[in-house]
Amino acid sequence: MLYDINLKITYGYEVPIAGGRHLVRVLPASIPGRQRLVVGSIGCQPTPGERVESVDFFANPTTSILFRSVHDSLAIRMQARVQVDAQALTADLTPPLAGLPSQLAACWSVDAESPHHFVGPSPLLPDAPEIAAYAHAIAGEGMTVRQIGTAICERVHRDFIYDTEATTVNTTAAEAFKLKRGVCQDFAHVMIVALRSLGIPAGYVSGFLRTLPPPGKERLEGADAMHAWVRFWCGTAGGWMELDPTNNIPASTDHIVVGHGRDYGDVAPVIGVLKSYGSHTTEQAVDVIPVG
Amino acid sequence: MAKKQTAQAEEKDRLDGDPAFGYRALPGIADEMLDPDGNVRPVWQRLLSALGRMDETDLANRFARADRYLRDAGVFYRAYGGRENSERSWPLSHIPVLIDEAEWAVVSQGLIQRAELLERVVADIYGENRLVQEGLLPPALVASNPEFLRPLVGVKPADGHFLHFCSFEIGRGPDGNWWVLSDRTEAPSGAGFALENRVATTRAFSDLYAETHVHRLAGFFGAFRDTLQARKQYPDDRIAVLSPGIANETYFEHAYIARYLGFMLLEGEDLTVVGGRVMVRTVAGLKPVGVLWRRLDSAFADPLELNQSSHIGTPGIVEALRAGSVSIVNALGSGILETRAFLAFMPAICRHFLGEEQKLPSIATWWCGQQSERDNVAGNVERMVIGPAYSTRPFFDDNGQSVLGTTLCEDGTSVSEWLGTGGGKLVGQEVVTLSTTPAWVRGRLAPRPMSLRVFAARTRDGWQIMPGGFARIGSGDDVAAIAMKAGGTAADVWIVSDKPVERTTLLPAEESFTRNMPGSLPSRAADNLFWLGRYIERAEGALRILRAWHGRFAEAADPKMPLLKDVTDYLAALDINTRQPVPDSLLANIDSALFSAGNIRDRFSPDGWLALNDLSRTARKFHVTVQAGDDATHAMTILLRKLAGFAGLVHENMYRFTGWRFLSIGRYIERGLHMTRLLGHMSGPEAPDGAYDMLLEIGDSVMTHRRRYNVNTAALTVTDLLALDPLNPRSVLYQLNEIKTEVELLPNAFVNGQMSPFYRETMRLHSGLAVMTPETMTPTVYKQLERDLERLSDLLAQTYLG
Repeated sequence: MLYDINLKITYGYEVPIAGGRHLVRVLPASIPGRQRLVVGSIGCQPTPGERVESVDFFANPTTSILFRSVHDSLAIRMQARVQVDAQALTADLTPPLAGLPSQLAACWSVDAESPHHFVGPSPLLPDAPEIAAYAHAIAGEGMTVRQIGTAICERVHRDFIYDTEATTVNTTAAEAFKLKRGVCQDFAHVMIVALRSLGIPAGYVSGFLRTLPPPGKERLEGADAMHAWVRFWCGTAGGWMELDPTNNIPASTDHIVVGHGRDYGDVAPVIGVLKSYGSHTTEQAVDVIPVG
Repeated sequence: MAKKQTAQAEEKDRLDGDPAFGYRALPGIADEMLDPDGNVRPVWQRLLSALGRMDETDLANRFARADRYLRDAGVFYRAYGGRENSERSWPLSHIPVLIDEAEWAVVSQGLIQRAELLERVVADIYGENRLVQEGLLPPALVASNPEFLRPLVGVKPADGHFLHFCSFEIGRGPDGNWWVLSDRTEAPSGAGFALENRVATTRAFSDLYAETHVHRLAGFFGAFRDTLQARKQYPDDRIAVLSPGIANETYFEHAYIARYLGFMLLEGEDLTVVGGRVMVRTVAGLKPVGVLWRRLDSAFADPLELNQSSHIGTPGIVEALRAGSVSIVNALGSGILETRAFLAFMPAICRHFLGEEQKLPSIATWWCGQQSERDNVAGNVERMVIGPAYSTRPFFDDNGQSVLGTTLCEDGTSVSEWLGTGGGKLVGQEVVTLSTTPAWVRGRLAPRPMSLRVFAARTRDGWQIMPGGFARIGSGDDVAAIAMKAGGTAADVWIVSDKPVERTTLLPAEESFTRNMPGSLPSRAADNLFWLGRYIERAEGALRILRAWHGRFAEAADPKMPLLKDVTDYLAALDINTRQPVPDSLLANIDSALFSAGNIRDRFSPDGWLALNDLSRTARKFHVTVQAGDDATHAMTILLRKLAGFAGLVHENMYRFTGWRFLSIGRYIERGLHMTRLLGHMSGPEAPDGAYDMLLEIGDSVMTHRRRYNVNTAALTVTDLLALDPLNPRSVLYQLNEIKTEVELLPNAFVNGQMSPFYRETMRLHSGLAVMTPETMTPTVYKQLERDLERLSDLLAQTYLG
């Protein structure tokens, strides 16, 4: 599938701010075998005083912008054309859970794709005993890692209510678990903690989702926001698999990847440090339009 | 009494025949002073016989001299816990630990090898990762390690090295050999305390120190300083100590080291990153920083790319590192080397990298993430300490997170099951015992367990080990290393030669004499100095008014007399409550001054700091005890005197440069405001009876008035003297005169040949007031002047403190 993606994130500041530095991670990555960035760009209003492009540890394209002059709003616009292939879902080659540790131990690497980064607790996702108990109850005797991942994805989807009011970006997995409510970020965080509690490496994927329009209706432009789902490691042969607990489906050509990380903190679209005495508002608008 | 003396004399006679004066090592434990046969080691003989000759009074005087030095120098560390955080005086164990230089050379060789090894390991972790790929370091210990900072992967240090300054905790086992208990690579503390220990200890034993060939510490610091100087890429680069700030437990040391080596003392907020370069905000604009000796933890250095919750970092500093424009000592992320589980892999890594065994072994450690190691820990649990694998603190200093295997056995815990579940999160370490060293306990020498903190610095000639360090001395006689907790004492370490030693000093040789002007003042320091000046003057103003009020209150037949009521209302508008003899707001004011001063401890003398603390303590005491009236008048006089003491110390001792100017301008603005406000309120024609006399008293101008004016106090003469007299140091015009003088000497007073807005406003206010006559000074004029002075303060902040 070929998509044209338009993203606009705007901030309005109650009190004008004198400067600020931000890290922006919104440009889709090129991932061999999964997707290819045909063309893409990021624009900012006002124009930043400095701008540096780099690629972070997990290979996510990152833009650093610095403002020196006073401004009361900030708009970040991303435009990209991306070619997306579905993840190849072959036969289940994954080991039973008991077989995973030895495969993990045999992986002598700490590069960006190494599963070792995704086993332990991460900054936003400490161990949570109640989620661990939930996961252990789902993981049955003799199930393969992929079966366990799929089962947890299904249970999170069933047990949680999608609710944009219940949580914020700062809600922890344990809090969302208690509420049994939240948005894609919360669904993904809970599922990651559940998988890790079983020793299954699991990470956060941020990206865009094309919402399929109902038959006979116009596509809802601007109704989509940035999305998040989960990828987990199914052993040496099984590799990484992406599941979307918000929709209870494997990631498909409808899922366009922006970044990989251990949790939201590694791939937050905009991280900012600014000196401000007032509050700010933020809005996000996304269009993911199939081309041709 | 006489009987007791006899007993003491008998005791002394008995001990005279004993070269160790009754000191005995603990059985089976190595001792620093006695060799295994119980003989006094040669390096100790001189000290020991000298101690034997000293009587109790002499010794007490000597110890008191050392303690007084530490107190006067303001040496303290901040203690956490308990009801409130507080500054504690440094706990000196007065008897130094003496080590023969030949033995020290062996220790030094071992530590140099270790520092080199650690450099290779950290370079590999943030570089090629050969250690993981070749199976020498389990990937989990890197990838699950909270100290592994991914944004630093692939970032090569600008000068090629990750490590420049490390410390090691070492201890001596029963066989007499030294062990490394832990490595400190993140932001090693204690080097400054080692220096202060040395100075204090030599105060106690100056005679002995002079006779004994003790290696000096200054050369070590000098070599490191020169090396950092040489790391600058550009000649105008600054070198700074980067501190987490005043709340840090070793802040004193940061300030001390910065002052000792002549570096700036900065906090994250002082810095900004522009065009990939780290800059310090100074009153003369942004200035480049080339080398940062970091005392804050890596993760807190950059809230943008590292710990996002950090409030003490500098956004963009990682980007500057990537651009290679700044050297950070040690490199961000070096803390990963402190991971306890790493100790298990160091022997093999040493063979791999250096092709040799570790000259100084670490304590035997097993990581429980591996089956055979786990079995070994479970099988020998009674000889183990078990603790968190990723902890960066040594097991004897980790707030009780580590437990003795024997304790587990007693609890009936199934160790193998527990290890099976905990697995990779746990390490087992061999229980080790430490050596003992003599400490002065209840009037005699007693053996106390000790470990040494030793420092290594990378210099242009390679790694150098500080010839000395400091010894942690246990409070009891339990020699198990795990019993070494906070609450012990610290002793100086003397490395003794049998030949005279080189006497270096950090003062430059005369032929290389240059007179350096102080560098640019950081804006935050200027801000603190300016507000220190304002708070001090504000306190003085309040004290003067309150003293005059209580004096009149004590004598007044009618407590409702109009003047008292009038001044009460005036003070109430300033949030000063006359019903409290020493009002809350006055205490808050003094505390604010203390806080501002605390932020710039490196900029004025310990005497000034002590004087300010004394003022604060006294004010608090008076707050509880003092009664209204005469008692309060007396109390205010004492407080004013203490305040004048502080001001005098600062005035007499502070170098007349930029910092001084900000402090002074703060005082002048506040004093001008105080007098303007008072005159506006009390010098009008409808002022209550006695107001003019009270004004003169507050303005400390009674005598002058009597001499200068041949009339009774009246509105015009009071106005003339307190508002417009250019020679009266309390008049408003005098303040503006002084501000004008200082402003002309500040950086950027002229920008492109034009007056800065701040300078221009100062000139405008000054000339505006200089042409006034007493008759024209109406309440409206005062009101406007008050607003103008406030605006002047804002302009100064905008120009210099942003």
